[in-house]
Amino acid sequence: MEYYEEPNARVALGLRRPEPGDWYHGYPEYHVERDDDKCIRCLVCVRQCPYDCTFYDPHRHGVYNVHENCVNCRRCEFMCPTSAIRITRWGAGFRDNDNWKQKTIRTVYKQADSGAVSLTGLGNDREYVSYFDRMVIDASQVTNPSIDPLREPMELRAYIGKKPERHTNPPEVYPNLKAELPVLFAPMSFGAIAFNFQRGLAMAAKEVGTYFNTGEGGLHPDLRQYGDHAIVQIASGRFGVSLDYLSNAAACEIKIGQGAKPGIGGHLPGEKVTWDVSRTRMIPEGSDALSPAPQHDIYSIEDLRLLIYGLKEATEYTRPVSVKIAAVHNVAAIASGIVRAGADIVVVDGFRGGTGAAPTVIRDHVGIPVEVALAQVDQRLREEGIRHQASLIAAGGIRSSADVIKGLALGADAFYIGTAAMVAVGCTACQQCHRGRCSWGITTNRPDLAPRLQPEVAAERLTNLLHGWAHEIKEMLGMMGLNSIESLRGNRLKLRGVGMTQVELDTLGIQQAGL
Amino acid sequence: MKRVYPREERCINCHLCEVACIVEHSETKLPSAAYHVEGLRFNREDSRTICDPAEARTAGVPKPLNRTLVQTAGYLSLSTNCRHCEEPDCVLACKNGSLYVAEDGRVLVQEDKCVGCWMCVMACRYGAISRNPARSNVPAVAFNGINHHCDLCPEREVPACVWVCPTNALVFEDRDDQ
Repeated sequence: MEYYEEPNARVALGLRRPEPGDWYHGYPEYHVERDDDKCIRCLVCVRQCPYDCTFYDPHRHGVYNVHENCVNCRRCEFMCPTSAIRITRWGAGFRDNDNWKQKTIRTVYKQADSGAVSLTGLGNDREYVSYFDRMVIDASQVTNPSIDPLREPMELRAYIGKKPERHTNPPEVYPNLKAELPVLFAPMSFGAIAFNFQRGLAMAAKEVGTYFNTGEGGLHPDLRQYGDHAIVQIASGRFGVSLDYLSNAAACEIKIGQGAKPGIGGHLPGEKVTWDVSRTRMIPEGSDALSPAPQHDIYSIEDLRLLIYGLKEATEYTRPVSVKIAAVHNVAAIASGIVRAGADIVVVDGFRGGTGAAPTVIRDHVGIPVEVALAQVDQRLREEGIRHQASLIAAGGIRSSADVIKGLALGADAFYIGTAAMVAVGCTACQQCHRGRCSWGITTNRPDLAPRLQPEVAAERLTNLLHGWAHEIKEMLGMMGLNSIESLRGNRLKLRGVGMTQVELDTLGIQQAGL
Repeated sequence: MKRVYPREERCINCHLCEVACIVEHSETKLPSAAYHVEGLRFNREDSRTICDPAEARTAGVPKPLNRTLVQTAGYLSLSTNCRHCEEPDCVLACKNGSLYVAEDGRVLVQEDKCVGCWMCVMACRYGAISRNPARSNVPAVAFNGINHHCDLCPEREVPACVWVCPTNALVFEDRDDQ
């Protein structure tokens, strides 16, 4: 299968001709406006643009743009010392048509240009219903007192892993992750993201007392010191997996699927496999790291059990083993099987989850929302009496502390945030992660772009984000009259639905607002 | 003494330090004036230099130039500026004593004494000295220009280049390594 890479930039200087082979770039999507009075020709924007959109013309002593190449990453706007730049939409675009939108037409052009699979990054950007936005939260009034988190203790600590079925003396204790906040950093592999960003995630996880996830790309030697706060992933490519890797981490995670691209493996283009990435992944430098779609040793729940117990044996039953699946149809039955296979943690990744590179059509159309998957999995595990055997982590589309509260009420034990963490360190959601030249230094390993994100800056911003969310979660818990997240977990009476059908309400297991 | 040190692993080659330096050492401290107006001789007949009479006070002001220079080699880049050495080679090399070490440790130049012989440029092992062609004290070498190097922004607490750097690739700190 051939994947489409954006062609090189249009030639900056010289006459433009309508390229018969490049209609995708035939119509600009964005317009980089430059206020000539303010522009001082310092050329900061020219040096900062990694998409070959901005150039300096010495003959006119001016800065000009090849607007066709602009992806609206807004780096030039951010860096311009005189605020001379603003990016707008290019004209009217195509004729107004709700069926043939700009994006639809452009994707067809792109594929007719190249004949290949159209790749993209980030998460699903289509206008699907967001059930998070159709759920509202309860609050205490008169009949039960609300709690003031500034004056009374509030418990946000989450223990993630297998719990004992009943109280015994001495108690049965299983290895658990202890997170000071039920928000963990999502699996993002070194290679897909820059080393500095992963280091920032690790530093923030250590600071806040939560966990980061290495993704499928192995654990860089420099991040070994953060092993106590690392969840290491074992994916179908088995990149970077060794006994040292497993036993150095807080937990092991078997990746079956990813919310953005359920059923297909990872795509790391060879250009992103630098020396450091190749050393960490244990693959040759410059080779494509395309992990297989399935785990070829797991074709059934029984096979999964073998791997889960293989990992438990390797780590001498001292660490929880997690299994990550994408939210798809029948997710409840699949999750039930995973728990029975011995997993201590089940991660359900919704279809809004992000990715470093995925075929556009799969990112946009495959999978189900994490809200319904979460509700169904929690319900099923309760009905079968095995809910205590595994913790449930929800991923894919967690954007704010309100989403965390709603997800907790639907039954999740903890959450993964990936895109939110990237936005916290500067991502503008321009969806160019797959091109490996992120202008913010987040999803690139190009040595000239990577220093744009510094690990200390990333760590500070991520810590701020988690602290902010923690305060908000405390406020919202107090507002409901609860003093710990344990009291909210699976408490769907605290949720009401707005603007949903009865089927949707029943699927989520919540009531209509007003009832 | 606090000095400006570059950290090349953090430099993103944006050259904002040069912009900040130029603006800081300009007459108006306004970016557009520093780049477009200052350094142009005020002349109403000259259609190329139309500037408002209110800005006429900038007439004749030499064009501000950057005292820090971003040097690049492949993917590496770093901003180089005067190290303000304790035993500066440039001061030893200066033949008429226009370069001197000030009481606070800064290496400064007496701009009206410099003859533009460039011996300081030759002597500096960091390549941190350039020449300012807009100024000259000796008519015979009018285009050579005088010594031009970092003065650590005397009007600011933290030099402008350090203040502006988006990735903290320049730091202003006291190191005992000199």
